[in-house]
Amino acid sequence: MKHEQQHNPPMKYGMAIDLDKCTGCGACMVACMAENNVPFKEDESNKLDSITWIRVYKLTNDKPYPDTDICYLPRPCQHCEGHGGHSPCVSVCPATATDYSRETGIVSQIYTRCFGCRYCMAACPYHARYFNWWDPVWPDGMEKYLNPDVSPRMRGVVEKCSFCFHRYQQAKDEAYLNGERRVSEAAYQTACTQACPTGAIVFGDLNNPDHRVHQIVQPDPKNGNKSRNPRAFRLLERLGTNTKVYYLSSREWVRRKGDNYLEHEKTGQVAKAHH
Amino acid sequence: MKVDRRSFLSFVIGGAAGTALSPLPWKLMDDSSIWSQMWPWTPVPPDGEVVYEASTCSLCPGGCGISVRKIDNRAVKIEGQKGHPINDGGMCMLGLSGLQLLYGPTRIKSPMKRIGERGEGKWQKISWEEAIGLVTKKLTDIRDKGEAHTVAAISGSDKGTVPALFKRFMTAVGSPNFMCTPSRQFADQLAVNKLFGGAGYTGFDLENADYILSFGSGIADGWGAPVRMFKVCSHWKEKNIPVVQIEPRLSNSAAKASRWLPINPGTEADLALGIAAVMLSKNWVEGDSVSGLRKWKKDLLAQFDLQQVAQITGVDADTIVELAKGFAKANRPLAICGRGKGQKAESLRETMAVYALNALADNLNQTGGMWAISESDYIDWPDVRPDKLASESLRQPRFDGAGSGQYAEARYLASRLAQGLEGDGPYPLQMLMVADANPCHELPDAKKVQAALAKIGFIVSFSSFQDETAAMADLLLPNHVYLERYEDVPVGAGLPQPAIGLTKPIVSPQFNTRHLGETLLALAKTMGGGIAEAFVWDDYESCLQETLADKWDTLMEDGVWVESDVDTVSNSVKLAAVNQPGVNAEGDPSSFPLLLVPYDSIRISSGYIGDAPFMIKTVADTVIKGKDGFVEINPQTASAAGLSDGDLATLTTPRGAAAVRVHCFEGIKPGVIAMVQGLGHTAYDGFLAGKGVNINELIGPVEDPSSGYDAAWGIRAKLAKA
Amino acid sequence: MSTLDEKATEVMDDDAAHKKNGNDSGASGTIILFFIIGFAASMVVGWVVFPKLLYSQKEQPFNFNHALHVEEVSDGCESCHFFRDDGSFSGIPKLAQCTECHEETMGESEAEAVFVEQYVWKEREVPWLSYSRQPDCVFFSHAAHIKGAEMDCVTCHGHIGESESARPYEYNRITGYSRDIWGKNIAGFKKNSWDRMKMDDCAQCHKEAGLIHMSSVQTNRDACFVCHK
Repeated sequence: MKHEQQHNPPMKYGMAIDLDKCTGCGACMVACMAENNVPFKEDESNKLDSITWIRVYKLTNDKPYPDTDICYLPRPCQHCEGHGGHSPCVSVCPATATDYSRETGIVSQIYTRCFGCRYCMAACPYHARYFNWWDPVWPDGMEKYLNPDVSPRMRGVVEKCSFCFHRYQQAKDEAYLNGERRVSEAAYQTACTQACPTGAIVFGDLNNPDHRVHQIVQPDPKNGNKSRNPRAFRLLERLGTNTKVYYLSSREWVRRKGDNYLEHEKTGQVAKAHH
Repeated sequence: MKVDRRSFLSFVIGGAAGTALSPLPWKLMDDSSIWSQMWPWTPVPPDGEVVYEASTCSLCPGGCGISVRKIDNRAVKIEGQKGHPINDGGMCMLGLSGLQLLYGPTRIKSPMKRIGERGEGKWQKISWEEAIGLVTKKLTDIRDKGEAHTVAAISGSDKGTVPALFKRFMTAVGSPNFMCTPSRQFADQLAVNKLFGGAGYTGFDLENADYILSFGSGIADGWGAPVRMFKVCSHWKEKNIPVVQIEPRLSNSAAKASRWLPINPGTEADLALGIAAVMLSKNWVEGDSVSGLRKWKKDLLAQFDLQQVAQITGVDADTIVELAKGFAKANRPLAICGRGKGQKAESLRETMAVYALNALADNLNQTGGMWAISESDYIDWPDVRPDKLASESLRQPRFDGAGSGQYAEARYLASRLAQGLEGDGPYPLQMLMVADANPCHELPDAKKVQAALAKIGFIVSFSSFQDETAAMADLLLPNHVYLERYEDVPVGAGLPQPAIGLTKPIVSPQFNTRHLGETLLALAKTMGGGIAEAFVWDDYESCLQETLADKWDTLMEDGVWVESDVDTVSNSVKLAAVNQPGVNAEGDPSSFPLLLVPYDSIRISSGYIGDAPFMIKTVADTVIKGKDGFVEINPQTASAAGLSDGDLATLTTPRGAAAVRVHCFEGIKPGVIAMVQGLGHTAYDGFLAGKGVNINELIGPVEDPSSGYDAAWGIRAKLAKA
Repeated sequence: MSTLDEKATEVMDDDAAHKKNGNDSGASGTIILFFIIGFAASMVVGWVVFPKLLYSQKEQPFNFNHALHVEEVSDGCESCHFFRDDGSFSGIPKLAQCTECHEETMGESEAEAVFVEQYVWKEREVPWLSYSRQPDCVFFSHAAHIKGAEMDCVTCHGHIGESESARPYEYNRITGYSRDIWGKNIAGFKKNSWDRMKMDDCAQCHKEAGLIHMSSVQTNRDACFVCHK
C-alpha cells in the first residue's frame, strides 16, 4: 500500500529568551521537572550531578559594590544544529541514542538505546546533558504525579531537555484527528514556556514567519542563522554550534557573557560561517 | 556401542549446533537485554484519558488560578490558568510543586495521638471519632473549670470562611485568644485605619503606574501576588517605567528594577519622609488629598535636614532630590513598602511615611494609584451568642495583650506568645490549637517559642504536613491539602480589586484527612449547647455555599470572582505625627559590628508551607551546600573579618548563634550581612530537614512602639571564622 | 622402558585388533549418532521446550465475546475503541464505557454475570491484559495510522473482532511483554501482518508504503522521537 506522503516544509523549533524580562524565579525549572518526570534526591547541592533539564544561571557583571548587577539566564538544551544537523552530541554518540531531526530541528534522546558512555556530555559545550548516576526513587506515593507521556529513566542513562517533544506528538495526534498536517503555534508549547510568568520564554518555529519566535529573532539563514535583532545573542556562538535558543538582552555586559570574549574583541562578532 | 569421551563430545557439539540453529540463544539474548532495561522499580506511569480541571492555588496569599492535568482522575501536573485575572497562565515554582505536597511523604496520613515524649516522634493512629472526642473532652474540662480563656489558637490567616469558623469556635468556647501569625497585612490595616479613618487595606494599580519607589518590597521575590508581580515587572521593563528598588542588598527585585538604591537597613522611613520633605519644600506636589497638610508640612520641614537624612540613610543628598523630583513629576507615581514577601510587619512610622508619598502625589483610589479598599464583608454571619461560661471567660484580657493598653492598636500579637508563656502573660495557657501555621519555625526567636510550648499542656495541630509545630503537638487532626477541598480564597495581596478564588477538590482525599471546616463543625456539634447553636450549618460545603451566596455561581463556573465596583475607605488622608518612633535593631554595635538582615527568595517557601523537593533542588549552591546555609557578605567586610568565600563561620546575634558558610557577594552593602528565610527546618522529610539555618532563631521580636507588632527588620550580629 | 614399549604396542595392537575386527564404522557411527542425538535434542529443546518454558499464560478476568458485541453496535470497532477529542486513542474500554449498556445483566452468560457482580457493582475497573501493549519507550499514534494513513484495525490487531472468546494472554517470562509483540512463532516468522509487532515490523510496513522520511541525521530515516518517548 503506497501512500502519497505530504512533506511539510522543514520546521525549526527554537526559543527566544528575553533576559530583560526573566526574574530568575525558576518556575521554568520546576515546570520542566514536573512535566518530564525528572528525578530528585535529598542532597541536590552538588550541581554537577543535579539533574535540571533547564537550569537558570545567575550572571554578574563582576563590578564592585554599588555598581554590581546580576542577570538570570535560563539554559535549556540548545538543540544545536551545527552544519546540517551535526550537533556536537549527535556526532559523538556511539549508540545512536541521540539524533537530530531535520524535519523539526529537535535533538532527541532515546533512553533505551543509551548505554551511558557520557561521550555526549563531554561533547556538549553547554552542560545541558545530565547523567543518572543513581536509579530515580520517587518517595512512596509521589510516583502518582508521573507523566505517562515521558518515559521515566533508569540509572546509567543520559537525559536532557527535549523541547517537550511529547507535546509535539500529542499535538500531531490532534492535528491528524482534525485533518490538519501541521501543528499550530498554540498547540505545541514547551512546559517551561507555558509556566514562565513574565513571558520571557517564547517558543515556536523559527522557520515560520507567523510564529512569534521568528518575528523576535529574525534569523538570517545566509549568515549561519545569526539573529538580526540587535538585542539577541546565542551562547558560545563562535563555536559554530548554530543553536536554536536565542537570548535577548539590552545590557551589553550580558551579551558579552554569552561567549568567551577577549578584551579587545567586539561583542557579537561571529566569524564567518565556513563550510 | 561404547559411550566414551568422543561420543560425549559429539553429543555436546551436536547440541551446540542444534542450539545455534534454534531460536533459543538469540531470543534469550534479546530478551535478557530487554530485561536489563526494565528494572521493576522503574515506574511505568499508567496512561489514560486527559482532563484539565480548574481551581485556585492557596499556597500563598496570591490566589493564582491553576489548571490541573489529570490522567484518569489522577492529578499529574499543575499548570497556570490562562485568562485568569491574577496570573493569566503564569505560575511560580511553589504552585507548580503542589503535587509533591499532595502526594509527598510529609503528609500526615490520619489523626494521630502522641505516645512517648513530646518531640520524640512516636504516634499512634486513632480514629476521627476518638480524635474529636479527645479535643471535646479537653475543652469541656477546661470550660467547666471556668478557664476557657486559657485556650489559644494560632491561624495562618484571619480571612476566609475556615479561619472565620475557627475564630467563631474560639469565641463560642469562651476564649479571646485567636491569633494570627505575623504578617504585614496587619501593619497595613493599621496604617489604613490611621490614614483613611476606616477599616481597610491597600491595593496598588501597579500595571498603570509610571514611577515606582519600592522600599524593600520583593517585587520579583514574592511580594503581594507573586505571579502578578512578575508580570508587572516584565511590563515595567517593556514600557521603560522607572522603578527604584531601595534596599541594602541586590535582590532579584533590585536586579529587575531600573535602579538599585542601597540604603542603610532600617532607615526606609527616614528616606520616605526626606523625599516627602523635598517634594513639599520645593512645592512639587499639591497634596490635595491630605487633610491638615499645612500643619503637617510645617512640622516636617521644621525638623528636616537634607544632609542629615543623607547621612542616616546612606543615600546622598542629590539622589534624594532626584527621587523626589521623579516621583513628583510623574503622572501616577506609586510608593510601596513591606520587606521581601511582606511576611513581617514594618513599623507604623515606615508604612505611614511611604503611603504619605502616594497621598502627597494625590495618587489615591484611581487608575495607577494606591487604593484604600474597605474590608470585605461577604462573611456575614449572625454574631455568636456566647453561653454563660463563655461570657465569663471572654471578659478576660487577651493572652497576647493585643487590643488593650499599650497594644490597643494591635489585633494579634503571636510574637508575644513566648514571653507570655515564660511568665509575662496574664495567665497560663492550657491548650493551643494551630492551623495553617508553623509557629515553631515562623515566629521570631523560634527556639524560645519551641521551648516555651513546653509550658502548654495540650497542643493540637491541624497541619497537613509533619512540620515543627506538629512535631511538638499531642494530637494531630490533619486537614485536607488545598487540592482535596472546597474553600474560598479571599485575595488581597496588593491587588487594586478584591478577589475571591475558589479551590475545588481536584482529587479525592489521598489519606484519612478531614476538611478543617468539617472538623470545626464536628467539634462544635459534640461540644453541644451554646457552642453547637453558634454553628447552624450541617456541613462545611453548605456553609461555604450559603456564605458565598450570589457569588457562588460565578465561582463555580469561573473559579474566581473579582469586585469591579471597589468600595474605598475614603479619598482623603490624615497624616500621622511627624516624629513617630521607629524601630531599631537589637544589639550593641561594639560587640556586634555587623547588621544581619533576612531576605526572601521565591525559591524558598518561608511561611507555613515548607519547600517541596523540586523547589529546594533549584536553590543555588551559594545558599545551601550539603547541610550548610550561607550568609551573604560584601567581600570588603569579609576580609575585614578575616573570612574568605566558602569559609565556615559562626554567626552570633544577641538571640542565638549558628554555624554558617560565607558567600562573598558584591551586591550587598558593606557592613550588612544577609541570610535567606525559610531554611533550618528540623521536621518535614529528608529533602528539606537539616538544611541551612532558620534565621528566626537568630532574630527576636522588636515591638513597634506604635502598635506592639513585631517590626524587627534585622539584628546586630558578629561573624567569626569557625 | 621395555615394559612401556610393550604396553604401547599392546594398545596399538588392540586398536589394530579393533580395526581389524571391522568396528571402525561402529565407532564413527557412535559419534554421528551422538551428534544426531545431541542435535535433535537441542533442536527440540530450542524449538519446542523453550517456547513452552519462556511463555507463561494468564486468562483474561472473564471471557469476552467480540463477535457478539460487534453485532450489537453500529460503528464496528470504533464504537468502543475510539478517538478522544484531543487525538488520543481510548484503547481498551473503561468500566464507564461498558456500563452504558451493562448496568444490569443483559444476557445469561456466566461471563457477564462475573462482570456485573465483580466489577460493575463493586465499581472496579476490569484488569484486562492487553495483547498489543508496547513497551514504555514506544509512542504509537493511532491517529497517524487510522486517520492519517487510513489503515484498518485488522492489519495490526488481526481478526480479534470476530473472536467469540478471549484467547489466553501469553507473555514472555523474562521481559514481561505479550507474546503478540515478538510473535507466536518462536523464530519470529510471520504469516500475517499482525503476527509480530516489533520495531522492524513497523519499519517494514513503512518501507513498503514508501513512507520513509529522511529527517534523521544519524540514520537518514525518520527521526527517533516520532515513535519513541
